[in-house]
Amino acid sequence: MVASFDTHIFWEVLRSGPYWRGALLAIGLTCSSLGAACLIGFPLALGRSSRLFVVRFFAFLYSWFFRATPTLLLLLIVWDVFPQIWGVFAHNWYTPFFAAFIALSLNEAAYMGEIIRAGLLAVDPGQELAARALGMKRWQILRRVVVPQAVRIVIPPTGNEFITLLKLTSLASVISVHELLTSANEQASIKFSYQEVYGAALVYYLVMVSILMFLQSRLERRFTFRSRARRAPAQLSVPVAHDAR
Amino acid sequence: MTDAVLRARDVHKSYDGLAVLQGVSLEVGRGEVKVIIGPSGSGKSTLLRCLALLEPVDAGAVYLGDEQLSGRREKELAAHRSEVGMVFQRFNLFQNMTALDNVTVALRDVRRLPKADARERAIEFLDRVGLRDKADQYPEELSGGQQQRVAIARALVMRPKAMLFDEPTSALDVELVREVLDVMEGLARGGMTMVVVSHELRFAHHVATSILMMDEGRIIEEAPPDEFFSAPKQERTRRFLALVE
Repeated sequence: MVASFDTHIFWEVLRSGPYWRGALLAIGLTCSSLGAACLIGFPLALGRSSRLFVVRFFAFLYSWFFRATPTLLLLLIVWDVFPQIWGVFAHNWYTPFFAAFIALSLNEAAYMGEIIRAGLLAVDPGQELAARALGMKRWQILRRVVVPQAVRIVIPPTGNEFITLLKLTSLASVISVHELLTSANEQASIKFSYQEVYGAALVYYLVMVSILMFLQSRLERRFTFRSRARRAPAQLSVPVAHDAR
Repeated sequence: MTDAVLRARDVHKSYDGLAVLQGVSLEVGRGEVKVIIGPSGSGKSTLLRCLALLEPVDAGAVYLGDEQLSGRREKELAAHRSEVGMVFQRFNLFQNMTALDNVTVALRDVRRLPKADARERAIEFLDRVGLRDKADQYPEELSGGQQQRVAIARALVMRPKAMLFDEPTSALDVELVREVLDVMEGLARGGMTMVVVSHELRFAHHVATSILMMDEGRIIEEAPPDEFFSAPKQERTRRFLALVE
């Protein structure tokens, strides 16, 4: 006998507090970790092509170590081992959420470093040459010319990383972070209505990723370097052609 | 003391053991226009890059006015580069900026002009190359000829002591070559000191004060255009001219 889908339970679960909190936690953890990963990843990317061997070596070491370490293991180390080694972490402020933030940031930074490096390398070297010829300094060239163009290249793979990270946050349940999937599991074990409970969780993930994809396309458009007047018709051209019924 | 604006003395340069420049000496006086021709790989572009202070020389020296600038540290060089304008074969306009911003950016970052002044001066120079109405367009939206004219304005706006052109028309469709050459001719008539790598022989004949033939990293012949074209001294020059014309 197949259990029928109970929409009442589905709606109830969908609107329940633990789900909302779980989703917010997952989003918060993802955004903050990805943000930190970009901040660490940028110097890592620059470090990989530094003139100084020590800097190059450290950047390589970082990327090697954190890509080789399983995320789950890293979460456990950061949560369980850090407080044992360093006294500062053995206090109340060191919450599971904060530990998860550190672990995911460290881990993700290694990947973002590679993505940003590829983005910087993909910018036409002629751009930097022209900027140097004008007398611009290294940092000015990066800030004004190279980074804005690299951003356009880096956005799509970063969107992928965001989605991967969003799903990875469920690993943080091992250090008792109650993100979305943990809440779903708890609900399922209380109510035994798997279809409704997991269905609701699925809806949350679909909605979160949809919002992200929308924001990503907005961002990509912002970093497409065309004047406003020309940007709009290019997008309308296809539907307009088919509307001539 | 010398009245040369730009001077190279016995410049040597090699890449990975390949000798590209093997003792090049060159003097460009105020208001002179030197056109360099020669087969690909003869070192024309490398010579220009050395003159533009974009490449360090292995031996010999580059002077701007009376100052020897080769061998100086990168930080010092950056400021001096803006005194020599450089125009590239592939335009190298900053893809993330409008035509106006391309012309403004170094005025702001290098010359430290206030925004309004920089803008005013940039528009004046865009006007000089006939592109005032394209100020808000991005490079992608301009034709090759228009892009190259913006690139010329970008270099001119810094009020350089000399302008270097590295095959400025060889990436252009034939019907777009004229508009760029016209701008360059106007510059020459206005008394700008110029070094031009180009195989536009009609232009060279018309505008140059002297023509230089490069082969295998050396200048093998230099003469005023009439003499150069009617009675080239070197066999190599004769063979080359026969192929280009």
